[in-house]
Amino acid sequence: MVHQVFDRRAVSRHQARAAGAFQEFSFLAEEVADRLTERLEDITRSFPIAVDLGSHGGLLAPRLRGQHGIETLISTDLAPAFAARSRGPAVACDEEALPFASGTLDLVLSSLALHWVNDLPGAFVQIRQALKPDGLFIGAMLGGETLKELRECLVDAEVELEGGLSPRTSPLTDVRDLGMLLQRAGFALPVVDTDRITVTYGSALKLMQDLRGMGESNAVLERRKTFSRRNTLLRAAQLYHERYAGPDGRITATFQVLWMLGWAPAENQPQPKKPGSATHSLAEALGAQVCGVEASSPLDDTSGNG
Amino acid sequence: MSETAALRAVDPKLLEILVCPLSKGPLRYDAARQELISDKAGLAYPIRDGIPIMLIDEARSLDDTAG
Repeated sequence: MVHQVFDRRAVSRHQARAAGAFQEFSFLAEEVADRLTERLEDITRSFPIAVDLGSHGGLLAPRLRGQHGIETLISTDLAPAFAARSRGPAVACDEEALPFASGTLDLVLSSLALHWVNDLPGAFVQIRQALKPDGLFIGAMLGGETLKELRECLVDAEVELEGGLSPRTSPLTDVRDLGMLLQRAGFALPVVDTDRITVTYGSALKLMQDLRGMGESNAVLERRKTFSRRNTLLRAAQLYHERYAGPDGRITATFQVLWMLGWAPAENQPQPKKPGSATHSLAEALGAQVCGVEASSPLDDTSGNG
Repeated sequence: MSETAALRAVDPKLLEILVCPLSKGPLRYDAARQELISDKAGLAYPIRDGIPIMLIDEARSLDDTAG
């Protein structure tokens, strides 16, 4: 049984609420979609059937139409109202229960959707299964350092004014966990790296308002059913300003983006060789001489050149 | 959304690759009712304005309409 951290109904509700005026708040999603599009440019094979999983109303479709041999790009969202915004084929589906037959997709892209998923390993396995052999998955999700300034200020304000804590912003995944999760889900040649996007705001209250606009409000199951006390939010905004305002009085908010890439295994992919199966020595290939352990360190050899 | 808006047709490519998210079993397309039916799971997923709603919460249980 997967530990249920996120209330998927709340996630869906937040997204549906955001769908109406999303373009006003979509800068973060747009920025990540641009970066994802750039990453795909480095890959030369063609992908006839692609899925944008958690597409925020079809953000990738206009960027990728006619590119990379894509013939069909299916945009999905958890909230039907969000899916309905996309042009071209769209499906409302839950990232935790994918509706794609196994071995049918050439490419799965996911931009800022997977950080709301309870069962990330399960989602990865389903993505891998839906891919054809040698199909590609590229995902971007918010990492654990996202909004660290806001979390810290909310915690401090709450302790100060209410004498206790409630889960407020959502728990996020660590970059170190991701590579392992991809590997366990059966992806070949997984690559994980991280990126940082810094946004400045007039005030922390405006930031909180924007998070709501992006459909990114807290969906932690144990969140309090009552609204946050206004005093606590105001105090948090005040702390935020004291600690993180620049000379111009604007505050900065950090978003950490975790990038992940993996291939569905296929026969023709590069495979690691068995240890000891090499026929040439590395030293020979490098044109170097093999030194004994007593030999001076290579650093000393090159120091004269610098 | 107005009543007169042109209905979006479901993309035929989707029908080829979609399966039931619960059972991962095949789906039958009911064009008249605009539903994708999973016999294995006993669920009918609605298609609204050309968009298959592949959410278990939104699906109609087939037991309800045995008649």
